[in-house]
Amino acid sequence: MSHQHDDHDHHHPRPASEVELRAQALEALLAERGLVSTDAIDAVVELYEQDIGPQNGARVVARAWVDDAYRGRLLTDANGAIAELGFEGTEGDNMVVVANTPSVHNMVVCTLCSCYPWPVLGLPPTWYKSPPYRARAVSEPRAVLSEFGVELDDEVEIRVWDSSAEIRYLVLPMRPSGTEGWSEAALEAIVTRDSMIGTALPAALQPASG
Amino acid sequence: MSGDAPALATVDRELGRHAPLPRDNGELVFEEPWQGRALGMGVVVLERSGAPWSEFRRHLTTAIAAHQPSESDSPATAYYTCWLAALEALLAERGLLDELP
Repeated sequence: MSHQHDDHDHHHPRPASEVELRAQALEALLAERGLVSTDAIDAVVELYEQDIGPQNGARVVARAWVDDAYRGRLLTDANGAIAELGFEGTEGDNMVVVANTPSVHNMVVCTLCSCYPWPVLGLPPTWYKSPPYRARAVSEPRAVLSEFGVELDDEVEIRVWDSSAEIRYLVLPMRPSGTEGWSEAALEAIVTRDSMIGTALPAALQPASG
Repeated sequence: MSGDAPALATVDRELGRHAPLPRDNGELVFEEPWQGRALGMGVVVLERSGAPWSEFRRHLTTAIAAHQPSESDSPATAYYTCWLAALEALLAERGLLDELP
Protein backbone atom coordinates (compact mmCIF):
# COMPACT_ATOMS: atom_id res chain seq x y z
CA MET A 1 0.00 0.00 0.00
CA SER A 2 2.55 2.53 -1.06
CA HIS A 3 0.15 4.76 -2.96
CA GLN A 4 0.42 8.30 -1.72
CA HIS A 5 -2.06 11.10 -2.14
CA ASP A 6 0.23 14.03 -1.92
CA ASP A 7 -2.26 16.25 -3.69
CA HIS A 8 -4.69 15.95 -0.87
CA ASP A 9 -2.48 15.68 2.15
CA HIS A 10 -1.57 19.30 2.22
CA HIS A 11 -0.16 19.97 5.61
CA HIS A 12 -1.29 18.07 8.61
CA PRO A 13 -0.44 19.52 11.97
CA ARG A 14 -0.58 16.02 13.41
CA PRO A 15 -0.04 12.48 12.19
CA ALA A 16 -2.79 10.94 10.07
CA SER A 17 -5.50 9.35 12.16
CA GLU A 18 -6.39 5.70 11.94
CA VAL A 19 -9.55 6.34 9.99
CA GLU A 20 -7.72 8.62 7.61
CA LEU A 21 -5.18 5.90 6.90
CA ARG A 22 -8.04 3.47 6.39
CA ALA A 23 -9.64 5.82 3.85
CA GLN A 24 -6.35 6.17 2.00
CA ALA A 25 -5.80 2.41 1.97
CA LEU A 26 -9.28 1.81 0.60
CA GLU A 27 -8.88 4.42 -2.09
CA ALA A 28 -5.54 2.96 -3.15
CA LEU A 29 -7.02 -0.52 -3.33
CA LEU A 30 -10.03 0.67 -5.32
CA ALA A 31 -7.79 2.58 -7.69
CA GLU A 32 -5.67 -0.53 -8.17
CA ARG A 33 -8.78 -2.47 -9.17
CA GLY A 34 -9.85 0.29 -11.50
CA LEU A 35 -13.04 0.93 -9.52
CA VAL A 36 -12.25 4.55 -8.76
CA SER A 37 -9.78 7.10 -9.95
CA THR A 38 -8.48 10.09 -8.07
CA ASP A 39 -9.89 12.35 -10.75
CA ALA A 40 -13.36 10.85 -10.53
CA ILE A 41 -13.41 11.32 -6.77
CA ASP A 42 -12.12 14.87 -7.06
CA ALA A 43 -14.84 15.66 -9.58
CA VAL A 44 -17.60 14.38 -7.30
CA VAL A 45 -16.28 16.24 -4.26
CA GLU A 46 -15.97 19.45 -6.22
CA LEU A 47 -19.44 19.04 -7.68
CA TYR A 48 -21.05 18.44 -4.30
CA GLU A 49 -19.19 21.16 -2.49
CA GLN A 50 -20.52 23.75 -4.88
CA ASP A 51 -23.71 22.47 -6.26
CA ILE A 52 -26.92 22.17 -4.51
CA GLY A 53 -29.23 24.20 -6.55
CA PRO A 54 -32.60 25.77 -6.02
CA GLN A 55 -34.46 23.08 -8.03
CA ASN A 56 -36.37 21.87 -5.00
CA GLY A 57 -37.71 25.34 -4.32
CA ALA A 58 -38.64 25.75 -7.98
CA ARG A 59 -40.71 22.57 -7.80
CA VAL A 60 -42.50 23.86 -4.73
CA VAL A 61 -43.31 27.17 -6.41
CA ALA A 62 -44.45 25.59 -9.69
CA ARG A 63 -46.75 23.23 -7.81
CA ALA A 64 -48.24 26.14 -5.89
CA TRP A 65 -48.86 27.96 -9.18
CA VAL A 66 -50.84 25.10 -10.69
CA ASP A 67 -52.56 23.72 -7.61
CA ASP A 68 -54.54 26.10 -5.42
CA ALA A 69 -55.07 23.56 -2.67
CA TYR A 70 -51.33 22.96 -2.51
CA ARG A 71 -50.74 26.71 -2.43
CA GLY A 72 -53.07 26.97 0.54
CA ARG A 73 -51.23 24.25 2.43
CA LEU A 74 -47.87 25.81 1.56
CA LEU A 75 -48.85 29.15 3.04
CA THR A 76 -50.29 27.69 6.23
CA ASP A 77 -47.93 24.76 6.82
CA ALA A 78 -44.82 25.19 4.71
CA ASN A 79 -42.89 22.34 6.32
CA GLY A 80 -45.68 19.87 5.67
CA ALA A 81 -46.32 21.05 2.12
CA ILE A 82 -42.61 20.92 1.24
CA ALA A 83 -42.30 17.44 2.75
CA GLU A 84 -45.21 16.34 0.54
CA LEU A 85 -42.90 16.72 -2.44
CA GLY A 86 -40.39 14.44 -0.78
CA PHE A 87 -37.72 16.94 0.18
CA GLU A 88 -35.82 15.90 3.26
CA GLY A 89 -33.80 18.03 5.57
CA THR A 90 -36.43 20.49 6.62
CA GLU A 91 -36.97 18.95 10.02
CA GLY A 92 -35.94 21.30 12.75
CA ASP A 93 -36.07 24.25 10.41
CA ASN A 94 -39.33 26.05 10.60
CA MET A 95 -40.10 27.17 7.08
CA VAL A 96 -42.49 29.99 6.34
CA VAL A 97 -43.57 30.80 2.80
CA VAL A 98 -44.65 34.36 2.05
CA ALA A 99 -46.61 35.07 -1.13
CA ASN A 100 -46.12 38.05 -3.40
CA THR A 101 -49.30 39.76 -4.55
CA PRO A 102 -49.95 42.73 -6.83
CA SER A 103 -49.75 44.99 -3.76
CA VAL A 104 -47.09 43.25 -1.63
CA HIS A 105 -43.55 42.24 -2.54
CA ASN A 106 -41.56 40.10 -0.11
CA MET A 107 -37.83 39.79 0.22
CA VAL A 108 -35.68 37.75 2.57
CA VAL A 109 -32.50 38.58 4.41
CA CYS A 110 -30.62 37.22 7.37
CA THR A 111 -29.35 40.26 9.21
CA LEU A 112 -27.37 38.22 11.73
CA CYS A 113 -25.50 35.81 9.50
CA SER A 114 -26.67 33.79 6.52
CA CYS A 115 -29.63 31.68 7.60
CA TYR A 116 -31.16 30.34 4.45
CA PRO A 117 -33.73 27.71 3.49
CA TRP A 118 -31.08 25.43 2.00
CA PRO A 119 -33.19 22.28 1.66
CA VAL A 120 -35.20 24.11 -0.99
CA LEU A 121 -32.75 26.70 -2.29
CA GLY A 122 -29.35 25.09 -2.00
CA LEU A 123 -26.42 27.20 -0.88
CA PRO A 124 -26.83 30.93 -0.37
CA PRO A 125 -25.27 33.20 -2.97
CA THR A 126 -22.27 35.24 -1.87
CA TRP A 127 -24.17 38.53 -1.89
CA TYR A 128 -26.75 37.11 0.50
CA LYS A 129 -23.99 36.72 3.08
CA SER A 130 -22.44 40.13 2.44
CA PRO A 131 -22.74 42.81 5.12
CA PRO A 132 -24.03 45.47 2.68
CA TYR A 133 -26.96 43.31 1.59
CA ARG A 134 -27.74 42.31 5.16
CA ALA A 135 -27.85 45.92 6.28
CA ARG A 136 -29.36 47.61 3.24
CA ALA A 137 -32.11 45.06 2.62
CA VAL A 138 -33.61 46.40 5.83
CA SER A 139 -32.72 50.09 5.61
CA GLU A 140 -33.39 50.69 1.92
CA PRO A 141 -35.01 47.64 0.34
CA ARG A 142 -36.38 49.55 -2.64
CA ALA A 143 -32.91 50.74 -3.62
CA VAL A 144 -31.48 47.24 -3.22
CA LEU A 145 -34.25 45.78 -5.38
CA SER A 146 -33.60 48.41 -7.99
CA GLU A 147 -29.96 47.38 -8.10
CA PHE A 148 -31.12 43.82 -8.71
CA GLY A 149 -33.17 45.15 -11.59
CA VAL A 150 -36.51 44.93 -9.81
CA GLU A 151 -38.46 48.15 -10.19
CA LEU A 152 -41.68 48.18 -8.22
CA ASP A 153 -44.46 50.73 -8.33
CA ASP A 154 -44.39 53.09 -5.38
CA GLU A 155 -47.69 51.77 -4.11
CA VAL A 156 -46.35 48.21 -3.80
CA GLU A 157 -45.51 47.53 -0.17
CA ILE A 158 -42.16 45.83 0.41
CA ARG A 159 -41.99 43.41 3.31
CA VAL A 160 -38.55 42.33 4.47
CA TRP A 161 -38.32 39.05 6.36
CA ASP A 162 -35.38 38.37 8.63
CA SER A 163 -34.47 34.69 8.53
CA SER A 164 -33.01 33.06 11.58
CA ALA A 165 -31.94 29.61 12.64
CA GLU A 166 -35.51 29.07 13.85
CA ILE A 167 -37.51 30.47 10.95
CA ARG A 168 -36.41 30.45 7.34
CA TYR A 169 -38.45 32.29 4.76
CA LEU A 170 -39.14 31.45 1.15
CA VAL A 171 -40.84 33.86 -1.23
CA LEU A 172 -43.63 32.54 -3.42
CA PRO A 173 -43.39 34.79 -6.47
CA MET A 174 -46.39 35.64 -8.60
CA ARG A 175 -46.90 33.51 -11.65
CA PRO A 176 -45.89 35.66 -14.61
CA SER A 177 -48.47 36.50 -17.20
CA GLY A 178 -47.97 34.73 -20.49
CA THR A 179 -47.56 31.37 -18.81
CA GLU A 180 -51.17 30.27 -19.06
CA GLY A 181 -51.42 26.63 -20.00
CA TRP A 182 -47.74 25.91 -19.29
CA SER A 183 -46.83 22.54 -17.84
CA GLU A 184 -45.53 22.33 -14.30
CA ALA A 185 -42.10 21.37 -15.65
CA ALA A 186 -42.00 24.41 -17.93
CA LEU A 187 -43.02 26.64 -15.04
CA GLU A 188 -40.33 25.13 -12.82
CA ALA A 189 -37.69 26.17 -15.31
CA ILE A 190 -38.49 29.88 -14.99
CA VAL A 191 -38.44 29.96 -11.18
CA THR A 192 -35.05 31.36 -10.31
CA ARG A 193 -33.25 31.24 -7.00
CA ASP A 194 -33.35 35.01 -6.65
CA SER A 195 -37.09 35.10 -7.28
CA MET A 196 -37.53 32.90 -4.20
CA ILE A 197 -35.34 35.22 -2.13
CA GLY A 198 -37.36 38.12 -3.48
CA THR A 199 -34.59 39.93 -5.32
CA ALA A 200 -35.90 39.03 -8.78
CA LEU A 201 -39.18 38.36 -10.52
CA PRO A 202 -39.72 35.30 -12.66
CA ALA A 203 -40.39 36.12 -16.27
CA ALA A 204 -41.94 34.15 -19.11
CA LEU A 205 -38.85 34.47 -21.22
CA GLN A 206 -38.91 31.27 -23.21
CA PRO A 207 -41.94 29.84 -24.88
CA ALA A 208 -43.17 26.76 -23.15
CA SER A 209 -41.89 23.61 -24.73
CA GLY A 210 -43.98 21.15 -22.85
CA MET B 1 -16.94 11.54 -15.23
CA SER B 2 -18.72 13.94 -12.93
CA GLY B 3 -21.40 14.08 -15.58
CA ASP B 4 -22.45 10.61 -14.50
CA ALA B 5 -22.49 11.35 -10.80
CA PRO B 6 -25.97 11.82 -9.36
CA ALA B 7 -26.93 15.31 -8.25
CA LEU B 8 -26.41 15.95 -4.58
CA ALA B 9 -30.17 16.31 -4.17
CA THR B 10 -30.51 12.74 -5.42
CA VAL B 11 -27.95 11.52 -2.89
CA ASP B 12 -29.84 13.35 -0.14
CA ARG B 13 -33.06 11.69 -1.20
CA GLU B 14 -31.46 8.25 -1.38
CA LEU B 15 -29.85 8.54 2.04
CA GLY B 16 -33.15 9.61 3.52
CA ARG B 17 -33.75 10.99 6.93
CA HIS B 18 -31.94 8.26 8.82
CA ALA B 19 -28.45 8.86 7.50
CA PRO B 20 -28.25 12.40 6.14
CA LEU B 21 -24.90 13.89 5.15
CA PRO B 22 -23.46 16.18 7.85
CA ARG B 23 -24.23 19.78 7.00
CA ASP B 24 -23.95 23.26 8.39
CA ASN B 25 -26.60 25.64 7.05
CA GLY B 26 -26.70 23.63 3.86
CA GLU B 27 -23.01 23.30 3.22
CA LEU B 28 -21.51 19.87 3.46
CA VAL B 29 -19.20 19.59 6.42
CA PHE B 30 -15.81 18.04 5.74
CA GLU B 31 -13.55 18.59 8.70
CA GLU B 32 -10.67 16.84 7.03
CA PRO B 33 -9.97 16.02 3.40
CA TRP B 34 -10.41 12.26 3.88
CA GLN B 35 -14.09 12.83 4.67
CA GLY B 36 -14.79 14.40 1.30
CA ARG B 37 -12.79 11.64 -0.38
CA ALA B 38 -14.79 9.00 1.45
CA LEU B 39 -18.00 10.55 0.12
CA GLY B 40 -16.57 10.75 -3.39
CA MET B 41 -15.36 7.15 -3.24
CA GLY B 42 -18.79 5.92 -2.25
CA VAL B 43 -20.52 7.80 -5.04
CA VAL B 44 -18.02 6.62 -7.67
CA VAL B 45 -18.12 3.01 -6.49
CA LEU B 46 -21.93 2.92 -6.70
CA GLU B 47 -21.83 4.52 -10.10
CA ARG B 48 -19.23 2.07 -11.44
CA SER B 49 -20.54 -1.07 -9.82
CA GLY B 50 -24.20 -0.35 -10.46
CA ALA B 51 -24.99 -1.12 -6.83
CA PRO B 52 -28.22 0.63 -5.81
CA TRP B 53 -28.26 3.34 -3.18
CA SER B 54 -30.73 1.30 -1.15
CA GLU B 55 -28.05 -1.32 -0.70
CA PHE B 56 -25.50 1.25 0.43
CA ARG B 57 -28.05 2.87 2.73
CA ARG B 58 -28.70 -0.47 4.39
CA HIS B 59 -24.97 -0.88 5.12
CA LEU B 60 -24.71 2.72 6.27
CA THR B 61 -27.59 2.59 8.73
CA THR B 62 -26.21 -0.71 10.06
CA ALA B 63 -22.80 0.87 10.53
CA ILE B 64 -24.28 3.92 12.25
CA ALA B 65 -26.31 1.75 14.60
CA ALA B 66 -23.22 -0.30 15.48
CA HIS B 67 -20.85 2.65 15.82
CA GLN B 68 -19.41 3.33 19.24
CA PRO B 69 -18.23 6.89 19.03
CA SER B 70 -15.17 7.85 20.97
CA GLU B 71 -15.52 11.01 22.98
CA SER B 72 -13.23 13.01 20.77
CA ASP B 73 -15.12 12.15 17.56
CA SER B 74 -17.06 14.98 15.99
CA PRO B 75 -20.35 14.14 14.25
CA ALA B 76 -18.71 14.42 10.82
CA THR B 77 -15.85 12.12 11.84
CA ALA B 78 -18.29 9.59 13.25
CA TYR B 79 -20.48 9.79 10.14
CA TYR B 80 -17.72 9.32 7.61
CA THR B 81 -16.12 6.57 9.70
CA CYS B 82 -19.44 4.75 9.33
CA TRP B 83 -19.54 5.68 5.67
CA LEU B 84 -16.19 3.93 5.11
CA ALA B 85 -17.36 0.89 7.02
CA ALA B 86 -20.52 0.77 4.91
CA LEU B 87 -18.53 1.03 1.70
CA GLU B 88 -16.22 -1.76 2.82
CA ALA B 89 -19.21 -3.91 3.75
CA LEU B 90 -20.84 -3.34 0.37
CA LEU B 91 -17.64 -4.16 -1.49
CA ALA B 92 -17.12 -7.28 0.60
CA GLU B 93 -20.69 -8.48 0.14
CA ARG B 94 -20.41 -8.05 -3.60
CA GLY B 95 -17.02 -9.73 -3.68
CA LEU B 96 -15.48 -6.68 -5.27
CA LEU B 97 -12.55 -6.63 -2.90
CA ASP B 98 -11.35 -9.76 -1.25
CA GLU B 99 -8.33 -8.44 0.54
CA LEU B 100 -9.50 -5.59 2.67
CA PRO B 101 -6.93 -4.48 5.17
